[in-house]
Amino acid sequence: MTAASLYDAVVIGGGITGAGVARDLSLRGLSVLLLEKGDYGAGTTGASSWMIHGGPRYLEFDWDTTRLSCQDAGHIVTIARNLVYRVVFIIPVLPHDKNNIERMETAMEVYDRFQPLKKSHPHRRLTPAEALHVEPGLAPDLVGAVTMEEWGVDPHRLVFANVQDAVAHGARALNHTRVSELVRDAGKVIGVRYRGADGAETEARARVVVNASGPWSPEVAAMAGAHVELRPAKGIHLVYPHRISNFSITAESIDGRDLLMVAHGGFTLLGTTDDDFYGDLDSVDVLADEVDYLLQGFERVFPAIRDYRPVRATTGVRPTLFKWRRYEDELSRRYRVIDHASDGADGLISIAGGKLSMYRLMAEETADAVCRKLGHPSRSQTANRALPGNESDVVPPGELAARCGIPALAAMKLQSRHGSDAEKVLDEGGTSRLLCRCEPVTEGELIYATRHEQVRSLADAFRRVGIAAGPCAGAACILRAAEVVGRELGWSAAQRFEAARDFVRGAWLGRAPVLGHAGWAQEELAQGSMRGLLDGSR
Amino acid sequence: MARADSLVKLAFAYGVHLTRRRLTRGRPQVRALLDTSSADGMRALDRSERERHPRLVTCINCGLCALAAGRLGKTRLPDLASSYMRLYSRLGEASSDVEGETPDLAAAAAVCPVGLPLEEVATVVRRLSRR
Repeated sequence: MTAASLYDAVVIGGGITGAGVARDLSLRGLSVLLLEKGDYGAGTTGASSWMIHGGPRYLEFDWDTTRLSCQDAGHIVTIARNLVYRVVFIIPVLPHDKNNIERMETAMEVYDRFQPLKKSHPHRRLTPAEALHVEPGLAPDLVGAVTMEEWGVDPHRLVFANVQDAVAHGARALNHTRVSELVRDAGKVIGVRYRGADGAETEARARVVVNASGPWSPEVAAMAGAHVELRPAKGIHLVYPHRISNFSITAESIDGRDLLMVAHGGFTLLGTTDDDFYGDLDSVDVLADEVDYLLQGFERVFPAIRDYRPVRATTGVRPTLFKWRRYEDELSRRYRVIDHASDGADGLISIAGGKLSMYRLMAEETADAVCRKLGHPSRSQTANRALPGNESDVVPPGELAARCGIPALAAMKLQSRHGSDAEKVLDEGGTSRLLCRCEPVTEGELIYATRHEQVRSLADAFRRVGIAAGPCAGAACILRAAEVVGRELGWSAAQRFEAARDFVRGAWLGRAPVLGHAGWAQEELAQGSMRGLLDGSR
Repeated sequence: MARADSLVKLAFAYGVHLTRRRLTRGRPQVRALLDTSSADGMRALDRSERERHPRLVTCINCGLCALAAGRLGKTRLPDLASSYMRLYSRLGEASSDVEGETPDLAAAAAVCPVGLPLEEVATVVRRLSRR
C-alpha cells in the first residue's frame, strides 16, 4: 500500500451530484479527491430521462421543489449551453384521461409562473386539429392538447464537464476506483481506503469525507456506522435510436401515472417506471412487463409506437428520501445534506435524494456544509461560471466541418459534446476519419477521450462520445473502437477482442428485453458481422 | 401540509382559469408554437411522412447499399439512413452534406436486407435539411 495523501475533502460517488460537489469545492480552492467505483455518470445519472426539467408534477404536492428545480435549471442551462437543447412537449388530453383539458391547462398556467426561471417559453393550447397538424402521429380521438417546454441534456457529458472543471482547478478524479473502507480515528472519519483500476490499495486522508453515492449512500454511510435512509425506486426507459415524433409527448399509464416520450437530438427516450426497489443495486434488470407497461401507455396516444424498433432499455435506481405510506410517484424529490456528527461519525457528510435538475444547488449546499466544517468561509461560484467548452460561442458547424474535413453533421455533434473545444479535440486525435457512423463520432474524438477523459473501457467510450449509441448498436463500429482505444491504452490483440466482447455482453442486458421481431432479425445480422462476439451470452 | 397548501393553490388557479375561459375567446396558438420550435432548428414531418416513418428508420448500418451505389452529395448511403434520418433537430446546419449528386438509389434499395426505401429517405432528409 502506498502512503496516504491528505485532502481537504474526499468525495465518494462520481454521478452528477458527486462531480458537482467536487467542482464546487475545488473552485473554492480546496484540495479534493473524487472517487467513482464504476464510470462517471454510469449509475442513476445516466439512466435518467436526460432532462433538466422543473417538474410540473410536483405542483400537486410540493411547489417548492418545482421552484427550486426551475431556478437551478436556469443556472445549468446558462453554464452548459452546448449540452442543452429545448424539448417541447405536447400533452394530449384523451376522452377518459385523469385530467380534462381545463385542469391540464390550469396546471400549465401555474407552471408558466416558474418557466422564466429556466428561460423557457409559456405553454400553448391546441385544438385537436392543431395538435394533429403539428403531431400527426397522435391518436385521432384527442380532445385537445397543451404544450410545455423543458430542456434536454446529455447527462454523461454534463457529469464529465463537472469532473473536467474540478480537475482543471486542482482536484484529482479517479474512475473505476472503489472505496473499500472509511478510515476512522476515535469515531471520527479521517479518510478512505480505496482500490484503484490497477488493483492497488491506497489510503487517502481527508478533513471531510462526502458521501454522494446516490442509491449506494446507505451502504457507504454504514461503513462508518452512520445511517442514511432512502426509499430506492427503480425506473426504466426504452431508447429508440431516432427522433420518432415531431415533439415530445406525454401519456397516461394504465395506473394513471404520467409517462414521457422525450424527443432528444437524434433519439427518443420513452419512460419511465417508478417502483420500490429492494434488490442488488449493482445488478438491476429490465423486465419484459415493464417494457409492455410503457408501450401500453403510449399506444393510446401514439398508436404507431409498436411499429418502431427500440435499440435498448436503460435502468437505474433513484435515491429518493425515505417516506412511509406514499405511492412511489408521490414521493418528494427533495434532498437532504446530512452531517453524521450526530451519528457518531464526525467528518462524514452525506447528500441524499434530489434530482438531476437541481444537482448544482445540491452540490452547492453540500459544499457549504463542508466549508462550514472546515472553517473555510467561501461562496459557491458554480451558478454563473461556465463549464468547459462554454467559455465562448461555437463557430458554425459548416465552418468547422470545412476546416477539419469532416461532415457538417459530425461537426455539429462534436460541438454538442465539446462546445468551443471541438477543434482542439480533433487536433489532438490527429485524424478526422469517422469511426462510429451512426452517431457520428470521429476517430480523433475517441483518441482524445482515451487520452484526456479517462476512457478505460468501451462502455466508458459509449458514455463519453456516444460510440455504438445509434441504430446499429455497435455492430459496425465496436471492433474498430476497440482497436483505437486498445492502441492508446496498450492492449494486446486478445485484450482488444475481449474488450469488444465485454461491451457487447454488457449491452445485451439492456437489449434483450426490447427486441421484437425486427430486432431479432437485426441481431442475427449483427451476430454475423460481429464475428461471434455475442457467443454464449444470448 | 405542503400537499394541502399546493392543492388549495391549484384549486384557486382552476377557478380563475375557468372564469377567464368563460369571459375570453381562445385564439389559435399553433403558429406561435411552430415559431418557437423552428427557432431551435426543428422541422416537423408532415402527415404522409409520419405515416411512412416507421419504414424509413429501419437501417441497421450493414453497409450493403454503399457497395451498390455511390454517395448522395458528400454522404455515404448507410450514413444517410442510419445517421441523417435520425432527424437531429438542427439538421438544417448539415444541409451541405446532402447537397449534390444523387446516385442510383433504386439499385441501393434493392440490396438492402431490411427493405429500406432509400429514395424516400433521401427526399425526407433533403427536405428537412433545406435551409
